[in-house]
Amino acid sequence: MKVPLRWLQEFIELPTTDPGELSLAFDMVGHKVEGFDTLQPAWTDVVVGRVETIDAHPDADKIRVCQVDTGRGPEQIICGAWNFSEGAHVAVARPGAVLAGGLEIGQRTIRGVESNGMICSEKELGLGEDHSGILVLDGEPELGREFSDLVELPDVVFELEITPNRPDAMSLHGIARDLGAYLGVDHTIPERVLLTVPGSVEIEVDIEDRQGCRRFTGREIRGVTIGRSPLWVRHRLAKAGVRSISNVVDVTNYVMLELGHPLHAFDADSIVGSRLVVKRAAVGEELETLDGETRVLTEEDLVIYDDEGPTSMSGTMGGARSEVSPSTTNVLMEAASWDPPTIMYMSRRHGLRSEASTRFERGVDPNLADAANHRAAAMVVELAGGTVPEGSLDVIGTRVDPVTVELAVSEVNRIIGPGFARDEVGGILERLGMTVEGEDPLRVLVPTYRPDVTRPADLVEEVARIHGYDKFDSTVPIGQTGGLTTEQRRLRRLQSALAGVGIHQAVTLPFVGEDDLVRLGMPIGDLLQVKNPLRDEEGRLRPSLIPGLLNAIRFNVSRGAESVALFETGLVFVARPSTLDPRLPEQAERLSWAIAGSFGPESLGVGIMEADGPLSFALLRHVGAVLGLTGLSLSPATPPGYHPGRAASIELDGQAIGHVGELSPTVARAYEIPGRVAIAELDLGPLLAPIGTPQASSPSVFPPADFDLSFLIDTGSAVADLMSTTIAAGGDLVESAHIFDVFTGAGVPDGDRAVAVRYRLRAADRTLTNEEVAPVRQAMIEAASAMGARLRGA
Amino acid sequence: MNPIKALEDALSGAALSIEAAGSIDELDRAESSLLGKGSPVGEVRRGMGGLDPSERPQVGARLNEVTESIQGLIAQRRVALELLEERSRLTDDRIDVTMESLGFPNGSLHLIQQTIDEVVDIFVGLGYRVADGPEAELGWYNFDALNTPPTHPSRLESDTVYLDYGATEDEVLLRTQTSPVQVRWMEQHQPPVYVVVPGKVYRKETTDATHLPVFHQVEGLAVDSSIRFSDLKGTLAHFSQEFFGPTTTVRLRPHFFPFTEPSAELDVSCFACDGGEPGCRICGGAGWLEMLGCGMVDPNVLEAVGYDPATLSGFAFGMGVERLAMVRHGINDIRHFVDNDLRFLSQF
Repeated sequence: MKVPLRWLQEFIELPTTDPGELSLAFDMVGHKVEGFDTLQPAWTDVVVGRVETIDAHPDADKIRVCQVDTGRGPEQIICGAWNFSEGAHVAVARPGAVLAGGLEIGQRTIRGVESNGMICSEKELGLGEDHSGILVLDGEPELGREFSDLVELPDVVFELEITPNRPDAMSLHGIARDLGAYLGVDHTIPERVLLTVPGSVEIEVDIEDRQGCRRFTGREIRGVTIGRSPLWVRHRLAKAGVRSISNVVDVTNYVMLELGHPLHAFDADSIVGSRLVVKRAAVGEELETLDGETRVLTEEDLVIYDDEGPTSMSGTMGGARSEVSPSTTNVLMEAASWDPPTIMYMSRRHGLRSEASTRFERGVDPNLADAANHRAAAMVVELAGGTVPEGSLDVIGTRVDPVTVELAVSEVNRIIGPGFARDEVGGILERLGMTVEGEDPLRVLVPTYRPDVTRPADLVEEVARIHGYDKFDSTVPIGQTGGLTTEQRRLRRLQSALAGVGIHQAVTLPFVGEDDLVRLGMPIGDLLQVKNPLRDEEGRLRPSLIPGLLNAIRFNVSRGAESVALFETGLVFVARPSTLDPRLPEQAERLSWAIAGSFGPESLGVGIMEADGPLSFALLRHVGAVLGLTGLSLSPATPPGYHPGRAASIELDGQAIGHVGELSPTVARAYEIPGRVAIAELDLGPLLAPIGTPQASSPSVFPPADFDLSFLIDTGSAVADLMSTTIAAGGDLVESAHIFDVFTGAGVPDGDRAVAVRYRLRAADRTLTNEEVAPVRQAMIEAASAMGARLRGA
Repeated sequence: MNPIKALEDALSGAALSIEAAGSIDELDRAESSLLGKGSPVGEVRRGMGGLDPSERPQVGARLNEVTESIQGLIAQRRVALELLEERSRLTDDRIDVTMESLGFPNGSLHLIQQTIDEVVDIFVGLGYRVADGPEAELGWYNFDALNTPPTHPSRLESDTVYLDYGATEDEVLLRTQTSPVQVRWMEQHQPPVYVVVPGKVYRKETTDATHLPVFHQVEGLAVDSSIRFSDLKGTLAHFSQEFFGPTTTVRLRPHFFPFTEPSAELDVSCFACDGGEPGCRICGGAGWLEMLGCGMVDPNVLEAVGYDPATLSGFAFGMGVERLAMVRHGINDIRHFVDNDLRFLSQF
């Protein structure tokens, strides 16, 4: 909300006008200053003058010679405008004045006649575009008075953020009340007197929807003259960011800005019949609003009908049919109060947010309606003439009464204390317009303009706010049993380890495109769909982290990267009941990686490994080692999107936890990623679950016995089986075993691989003798043979 | 030849040939020609058996003396030569130390992760636990239990992402804040509660330089028997000083949130200009940076989880992780966080 300082000063005597100090006060009272503009007149030396006489120019017929009094006797000014007559009050730029755009005014002679200054138009003053004639001032302002005074310049306009719980603060009066309470100064409403004539409103109102319409008040103003508002009204509105329309319409906005209650002016003669009915619309009914749009109504829309049909949308925008026009002579001024959610839904439904709707959806005080109406009627008479019959309309739909809230001083001190005394609490609440009775607890009568205050906690907030958040101490409570859980610590360890080997953690948007699923051959059936996506790309939640990572690789490749290594941890979603809460869809935390290009320790800028299936398996073993997992095992698998010969499913202690391997080359091509891509996706839960505490075994001090065995094994068999079988056959003496050569070709039968393994045996308590080693070796060979692996050369 | 004479000749000639050896190899050869088989000294040793027994002690004694002397000279020369050779190897080994030939790959934790970890650690230091919860959440946890009425505009489909799943009355949605985890935590734990909740949140936002449909928050909650407003203020002041630096000052400004009462926004003093430098690139001259929302837990929230609001009180706060990181690291476009451009990721 825009708040012009000099207008605000009509409501409150501020102890300072310094914009910085006032900004702090606005901030601290809860109406954050988004910014402020300091407005300066675009001119110097322009004063009020009165045109005493007008004579023809002896030598020119388009310009006239005026004698203008600016408070020091008549001075001669030549003027080319014709829209004024003798006696008009005008803005006079004296010789030496500088006008908007830098125009300097001097004494000069025009066709032989001397001119001592200039009578100004709005445009020349930078106040508007009107250049059709000079600016004729309203009323009889004092001659010689600085013209800038009339438009309240200089001025400061504050842009305030009003929180959605404060309908009352969307007005100068409400702001003044809050500021006054905080600064300890009084606030007031400048008086406007309405003189009425006998008679009453000739229109009736019938509120059919009493929940939707809380109150409807109306006054008629008869015999108005629609025209332009006076300068001061137009410029106050302009500073507040409201466009001037006509005197009557401007009054509705002006009073709304002052009091916070929106108003609407009907052309009373355009209302068909003599009865307005407030009710919900029929589906498909149409109403043309003031902005020229035709609105198709729904049965939830609350509308004002006359005998011909809908004529106004409640609380959001009036209808074109009963709009005030230049020919309007009789006005029905409406100040009605509406159910906040009804207006909120209606304005969103129609994409129609107006000054009125933003106030009504916060909850405008129905008990303010008649005061606003009264004030508006008085102002219409002042600006547009006319008379107001004393009988006004006032129909109550739903009564809203002040509430009484009991507040114990101890409750204040429990939440924001210590140290608040009864009188301090009571004093603050009274300054906010509340009525306080009783000693302790205080019985607080909350006015209806504060619908946000209904409970002791709400009063406590008011006390804190007006006391000043900056005046509270700073203390720190200490929690008792903090710390990360084992899973949280293991996750950090895992993430650090992956970063440590050279993988970057990615954060991708958790949505998935349909094209991603098609490319990867992932099933679409279980996808969790968004009901109201903003964009199609945000319509499906990811069932896998892989697509997001592949898209990130593609993005990097498109920007020139040759090697990209990414991992991500995050939730994936499936549309079936969650184990956490059966009402929710399944959402499991996963770890994935996707690596393309070269990888690992670098030589001359290039990683010494290439991303491919074996790299993925190595990373998985690394993850297992880092997390101390001993029960990881792989078996060949063909999950969607993977290279069918280079993928495995992963089990941890017999439980399936994901897949690891290489991306299918077809998929890689579809993602425009050159070369092979190492990928994996694992459930984080089982990976991070606490493991048993490892127990130490002291390293043996005795020398090892090493020997190599070279086996011929069918390429269709798993080498892992060979390793586990021979290690098991070797018994407790086996310290380590690793493959040091794999060979096919000359000397190896077709369909076989030669796999050379180095075994190391060691005893904890003695040096092994050849006699001890030989049978172990033999047992290994026999075990291998039993599974179809022959000793090479045997 | 007289063996004694032969030994004396060998000894007098030895120094010269040992000095002449310019490398360890040459020295080894010199050693062999001075003391080895076929050398004059070697010949004397070999001929010892044929000597007259009366000569033997004298020749034997001299043989040992001469052998030891020559060996001494060789050992001396060997040390000198080894030193020389090592010195020349060091010269040959010289490399251009400024050339990067080998490297370890630089992986990284995402800046979001680093920021979350840092924030979480500050609160862990104050005795908080860390919780997480579902991102697809029920309307009850995301809104109702947090004192947000059914007619609140934030529940409109224009603001919140709803899922095509489950019963209509369950309002399955993508959580708009991490606060529902507060509720789940309180349902499962008895007070006192000190917990922080990092995680993803979702809003129906059009992506631009300052908005993403998905971003991260860290939520904090403390509920205990005597938590007051000053505790909120002090806790966030401590956090801000840990995160932004020890000279950081904070202020709380009244604000409105459905789930706290009183509510506040926290401003921290600008760390770039130290307050109010006109046109500061970080704070724009305001001197303050709007950092997070907070407040005292609304009694309705405590009641919704079965806590007694008459005896318990608490505070809660929620901060945007991207905002924290953007402010601290001078990041001008929030989309950098999800582009995953390696050149961005590897800066942190």
